[in-house]
Amino acid sequence: MLNAVKKTVTHSTPTLRIWAALLLLLPAGAADAQRFPKPDFESGYTYPELRYAIPNETLWTAVDVVLLTALMGVVAWAVIRKRTRAPVVVSSVISVAYFGFFRSGCVCSIGAIQNVALALADSAYVMPPSALLFFILPIVFAILLGRVFCAGVCPMGALQELVNVKSYRLSKALTAALSVIPWIYLILAVLFAVTRSSFIICRFDPFIGLFRLGGDVGMIVFGALLLVAAIFTGRPFCRFLCPYGALLSLFARVSVWRIKITPTCISCELCHNACPVDAIRAPYANKVKESRLRGVKRVLLYLLLLPALAGAGALTLRTASNALSRVNKDVRLYDMVAQNEAAPQDVQPPELEAFYGQGGTVEELSQRAAAIQADFRRYATAAGALMGLVIGFTLTGLSLKRTRKTYEVNDAACVSCARCFSYCPQERTFAKPDLS
Amino acid sequence: MESKIANPISRKKFLRLFGAIAAGAAAASVSGVLLRRSLTAQPRYFWQIDPAKCTCCGRCATSCVLPVSAVKCLHANRVCGYCDLCGGYYRTNAKDLNTAAENLRCPTGAIERKFVEDPYFEYTINESLCNGCGKCAKGCNSFGNGSLYLQVKRELCKNCNECSIANVCPSGAIAQVAYDKAYMLKDG
Repeated sequence: MLNAVKKTVTHSTPTLRIWAALLLLLPAGAADAQRFPKPDFESGYTYPELRYAIPNETLWTAVDVVLLTALMGVVAWAVIRKRTRAPVVVSSVISVAYFGFFRSGCVCSIGAIQNVALALADSAYVMPPSALLFFILPIVFAILLGRVFCAGVCPMGALQELVNVKSYRLSKALTAALSVIPWIYLILAVLFAVTRSSFIICRFDPFIGLFRLGGDVGMIVFGALLLVAAIFTGRPFCRFLCPYGALLSLFARVSVWRIKITPTCISCELCHNACPVDAIRAPYANKVKESRLRGVKRVLLYLLLLPALAGAGALTLRTASNALSRVNKDVRLYDMVAQNEAAPQDVQPPELEAFYGQGGTVEELSQRAAAIQADFRRYATAAGALMGLVIGFTLTGLSLKRTRKTYEVNDAACVSCARCFSYCPQERTFAKPDLS
Repeated sequence: MESKIANPISRKKFLRLFGAIAAGAAAASVSGVLLRRSLTAQPRYFWQIDPAKCTCCGRCATSCVLPVSAVKCLHANRVCGYCDLCGGYYRTNAKDLNTAAENLRCPTGAIERKFVEDPYFEYTINESLCNGCGKCAKGCNSFGNGSLYLQVKRELCKNCNECSIANVCPSGAIAQVAYDKAYMLKDG
């Protein structure tokens, strides 16, 4: 018993140490009280051996990382070298089965954003190497080969890819408006992660309930709706929600090797119609008669508006920072304690019971809550400014009308699903010399 | 006018190349810093309940992402008093000390009781029945030695990035522990 307490004390926080010391002084206290002596058995009774199974997590995380790299390699080879879709489908099935159902969707690259953000903001936080690799490997692949991770390695993308039957095109305005959401989501997720408040990407994961065959009802319903939508339009989650997709789209813009339109293109628009994520831009003749100089001046004027948008965003989120900080548990606890101190309640909720039971002081908690709120003010200001910039860049981008003579792949939006290849009438004749 | 450079590259190509190098450098520096920290310091990974902080509020049973919680009651035999009148086994207002459900603390009948020798009884948790509600642990903490306690079973836990029980734990008892410290046990 004493041993057990000592053991706890050796690796515990100072508050816990005081708690344990209190326990030793007051044997009638709540937990760990040795009220009854150890029995003296006379019948030769021996204590049962307790063994707690420990799964070999090191092995499985190693398998995760190897499979992640291998699948991304296969997809990259299939879409860039072979220009064929079958391996992408196989990879999608493997990914949904292994990363989705077998590994229950954890660890995932999308959620790892938060660990990385927290580790960058707080040097005391050490993230598991597997989570770091899950975050960085798809980015490295995106820089080199485009969004091959999205194609059929991410179980969430793969799941939507597998159910997609028809790709109804959404209107340009709707697509532009919705595609801001992933960036806002990413910025909010980082904000809540660096303040150690919540990992919202994990909490609001729409498909995890399906992979685990159980979970929050609201999120399962939302996931089901997304999946139904994914039957009729390409990857609604990837395009309009996924924060990691937003990040990868940034890196895919500069990718070294990437999917290209068949060189012998006859501008038949079949690939454009087949693309589920609207990543193939059709030729476009700019009818707005605007001299190059005037166009450049106009865009520069818009860019001058960016600081104003960033400032407005920063101000808005700074004003809302106190409301946002209530996502943090300690801030909520402080509110509860302050309310209780003002008007003591007869029946205390478990939070207050635990707080007073652990001998917590209001001053210490108020300091902690104030520190978190200060963090929130600082980070929310930055987050608001970034949101303003995102909206500003999106609006500026909408006003850029570039003349295109041929079909072009939008590398940022292309998820390497490889659907377009089989639609191309020129593809087989083009591919022939490559195969021989 | 002809360019003087042997292989001129277009502006677009140059921007791409420059961007790729910048992105590569950013990815390399971030992963370098974080990977070194992950390899030198001990990352915390497995969710465990600190038995000294746990107040057995009962939220473990309902807040886990799994249909049946990964939190189970463990029994530290070396801490147990082997009492006949066990605060974890019987309800506080039990009419008779028998195995009738209305007298028992455990709502799922997961605690098995075996006679050892007068006056001692051995208690074992049938984990396939336990839902981690912590009623027995609360009873044992209030009236006994506190040998019954809640803990996250590692073979059941999905190791979520964010534990949904920890989100609602009133005492902040759930935290991640290092790889090599598998379990926070009362008798280990």
